[in-house]
Amino acid sequence: MEVSLWIEWVIKSLFIILLLTGGFAYTTLYERRVLARMQVRIGPNRAGPFGLLQPVADGIKLIFKEELIPEKADKLIFILAPVITVIPALIITAVVPWGESVWVFGREIKLYLADLDVGVLYLMAVTSISVYGITLAGWSSNNKYATLGGLRATAQMISYELAMGFAMLGPVLMAGSMRMIDIVNAQRSMWFILPQAIAFLIYLATSLAEINRAPFDMPEAEQELTAGYHTEYSGMKFALFFMAEYIKMIAISMIGSSLFLGGYHWPLPAHWLGGFAGPINLFGKTVIWMFFIIWVRATLPRIRYDKLMQLGWKVLFPLALLNVAVTAAVIVLVGG
Amino acid sequence: MTTSWIETQLTEYLLERFGEAVQPDSRPGYLGFLVARNKLLEVCRSLRDEFGFDYLSSVTGVDYHPEPFMEVVYHFYKSTGGSALVMKTQAPRDNPTVPSLCSLYPGADFQEREAWDLLGIRFEGHPDLRRILMWEGFAGHPLRKDWREPFFEEDAKPFKSRWPEGHFIRVEDNNPYKNNVSYPPDFDPGKWVPDKDELLYGGLQSFEEDSEIKTERIVVNLGPQHPSTHGVFRMVVLLEGERVVDLKPVMGYLHRNHEKIGERNTYLQNMPFTDRLDYICSMSNNFGYALAVEKLMGIQPPERAEYIRVMMAELTRFLNHMFSIGFLLNDLGAFFTPSLYAIEERELILDIFEEVAGSRMMCNYFRFGGVARDVPEQVLDKIKTLVHDRLPRKLDEFERYLTHNEILRSRCEGVGVLTPEQAIALSVAGPVLRASGVPYDVRRADPYSIYERLEFDVAYGIHGDIYDRYLVRIEEMRQSLRILRQVLKDIPNGPVMAGKPQFQVRVPPGEAYGRVEGPKGELGFYVVSNGKPNPWRYHVRAPSFINLTSLKTMAHGAKVADLVAILGSIDIVLGEVDR
Amino acid sequence: MASQFFPILVILALALFVGFFVVVLGTIFGPRRPTARKSSPYESGMVPYGPGTRRMSVRYYLVGVLFILFDIEVVFVLPWAVVFRELGMPGLVLMIVFLVVLEVAFVYAWKKGALEWE
Repeated sequence: MEVSLWIEWVIKSLFIILLLTGGFAYTTLYERRVLARMQVRIGPNRAGPFGLLQPVADGIKLIFKEELIPEKADKLIFILAPVITVIPALIITAVVPWGESVWVFGREIKLYLADLDVGVLYLMAVTSISVYGITLAGWSSNNKYATLGGLRATAQMISYELAMGFAMLGPVLMAGSMRMIDIVNAQRSMWFILPQAIAFLIYLATSLAEINRAPFDMPEAEQELTAGYHTEYSGMKFALFFMAEYIKMIAISMIGSSLFLGGYHWPLPAHWLGGFAGPINLFGKTVIWMFFIIWVRATLPRIRYDKLMQLGWKVLFPLALLNVAVTAAVIVLVGG
Repeated sequence: MTTSWIETQLTEYLLERFGEAVQPDSRPGYLGFLVARNKLLEVCRSLRDEFGFDYLSSVTGVDYHPEPFMEVVYHFYKSTGGSALVMKTQAPRDNPTVPSLCSLYPGADFQEREAWDLLGIRFEGHPDLRRILMWEGFAGHPLRKDWREPFFEEDAKPFKSRWPEGHFIRVEDNNPYKNNVSYPPDFDPGKWVPDKDELLYGGLQSFEEDSEIKTERIVVNLGPQHPSTHGVFRMVVLLEGERVVDLKPVMGYLHRNHEKIGERNTYLQNMPFTDRLDYICSMSNNFGYALAVEKLMGIQPPERAEYIRVMMAELTRFLNHMFSIGFLLNDLGAFFTPSLYAIEERELILDIFEEVAGSRMMCNYFRFGGVARDVPEQVLDKIKTLVHDRLPRKLDEFERYLTHNEILRSRCEGVGVLTPEQAIALSVAGPVLRASGVPYDVRRADPYSIYERLEFDVAYGIHGDIYDRYLVRIEEMRQSLRILRQVLKDIPNGPVMAGKPQFQVRVPPGEAYGRVEGPKGELGFYVVSNGKPNPWRYHVRAPSFINLTSLKTMAHGAKVADLVAILGSIDIVLGEVDR
Repeated sequence: MASQFFPILVILALALFVGFFVVVLGTIFGPRRPTARKSSPYESGMVPYGPGTRRMSVRYYLVGVLFILFDIEVVFVLPWAVVFRELGMPGLVLMIVFLVVLEVAFVYAWKKGALEWE
């Protein structure tokens, strides 16, 4: 194992993490401006030109806030829970390829961090781990309503994970491999959104439920029992929960773009601009996907919790299963 | 015409049947009947069952110190329409007890508690007689004539320190100890824990029903610090799993003893004070108060003033319903977007109020005998553009976005149902009453001002759920626009004030109850005058306060997520609830 | 094969570092002035009434168990999804049988009301 390989990995990891945290900061601004425009108002535009320093201001404010720990809370878990929530969010995009190769300093650098043979399985596994942080956060707060909120959020997330797993199986079936690079390359001729339209819609809905965003954000809604799992959190720990939610939003947009929208191919051919056209494609698709998520938040009211669970179990899960069976049957019968 | 029917036939019948117990009230300027305390329940039962007076609109108490009695005044109406039947009963002042009407009219619940709280009148047979606007443990009954507030200056305004010299002394400066605050020796404000509210929590239903899986019952506090309770309002809810078993609303966090301050003010000084009741719809509050005092004074505003009043009232109705629907959607989680679309329209109407009355929200525009100043021509043109062009278009757009949205329908249909019989018995008013299938609108049932000449329909719903209330409000907005079109077409020229404007109005002794169909329901003002420049008693029949009686009935069996939506559909404003 | 996961280890380590760094940052710079009021659990501004911990509704347990069952199903379907082209028709039929068996269990759970209320 050459040292240069490790250095390459460290640099790429650093790059991903910086991109995600910086992306989180500016996604909050993006969301606030887009939401505001949809609501006939302007949004933050005072801090810096076009409000570009707003996330910086928010971050500094949160650092200097007093961090309260409720008196009978389980201190260790109370502090660990936000960290446990944010780590899966940061590492899930390790398998997403951003492009073909670029040539830097005479080396060919492949534009992905980890080329796992079981990429899709890795995605599902990491998604499942991210549930832990939320349960622990609710439980360790010593607040009966936060506990309840945490349990509800957990139940919601695991119910929708099943449908999401089956929805992600659609592209796996079409590409015949779990490697993300194979899936992206198999979309050279046609994006998977066309033959896998149902899987795409199911992925859209379930990924929103996974990240607890509207219209599935009942567990963290303020209009409810005034408690979500993060009620007792303040300061930077609260910021970590927020970070986790927005980074997951970026992550599912990237993953969705790779699975269904052709990843780094199209509209620009991936080898243009010295290989940098690939990341530009992916970035553009991610931003459009996030706009759509923000648009949904601005528009739709919240689905009530029991109807939400019924939707996940009784509608999306059987539908996703059917999609898998039909896709497999069609491929075997038609051949290839 | 109806009044004389009540006066003659009913008087005869009542005197015949109950003999000495029922007497017409013969004090000058007073209406209605005096009923002896021991016969009160019988008389009211016969009124409800035999005469059809099934809608008890207002219950209020009056303190007649230094005369040795207190009085409880009831206003009965028929749910089919008509004017009021006023009943009074008197009780001696040192230990006033009156039988409670809760068994006949459940809507009297909160109002009797308020009379107990503020005046000290005990109601026998009331299921839960606790203080409602003050806290348990408060000393005294604030609305009594011999109760003095801290920093009491004088009984009636204008205070000698301020008029005619114009000297203003802050109440804090009246404190003889100035800034020196000291606590009792064993009191530590950092460690003090408030009372545990045992009476409140103990009153929740606690019997265990048999069920297969015994889920635990827990008590939850929603509010006062809650983003969705439309103000500082608290609900104590007994939950079984996700379902609500029992609910008790707790109010009074915004109580300012409006009625006592109203007694200290002069009649005209009360006019801007009524703006602060339902602070979203200030023009309607002014309207009700102006009607009550004009009944006492016996004056009639000129034609142009009447048209202007109706115009302002209908514009207020439009903007209130916009606000209310916006906040209902906000409670359902639509993240403020529909609210902001609605508030944009409201801003345009508020700009008009600013041009007409000088202020956007606290308008203080009506006077006794008309309105304060005329509406200039360019403002009328602006209103015409709004009414003919922009508002109908925006209302249609609003409806297109919302009315058939699946999520809205699935969360609102069948939720928070109130049957018509329950609605009438609970004295509910306004869109909540009409959505339950009772087409009772004060503008048609007991017309005031020029509403008899105007053509409009009364919007009502059938199911009595949240969705119907939403639809009723949308339809009422359309009817308001229809009224506005007629008013704008027919408005005559002329004076806007009867007689000369006066600071000190002369109000002959008597009592009057003036009611308007406010956007939230029937807003009534009960004013008692004894000929002096200040009112003797000034009571506000607040629709939000009384509509809250129905919250428990509607919430039974609902889930917690629906509870906030149900509260939003009643459309309360805490300024009115607490006064 | 295992070497494919080394980059994951690298990013995991960095993510851990970032997480703890953020928490430490907040701990260093944030003031600390706890009072009795601030440390008590939040219930809409009122003193919470009733016992602190409560039993969990049994529905959450049900959802957890059902999730495990069907998640294993997904996990079993995944490797087949990679090689199903070589397995052809017989593989497809076998997999459909497997799915149908599990779906019978799902329909049973549905009919029994295990998926209700939540």
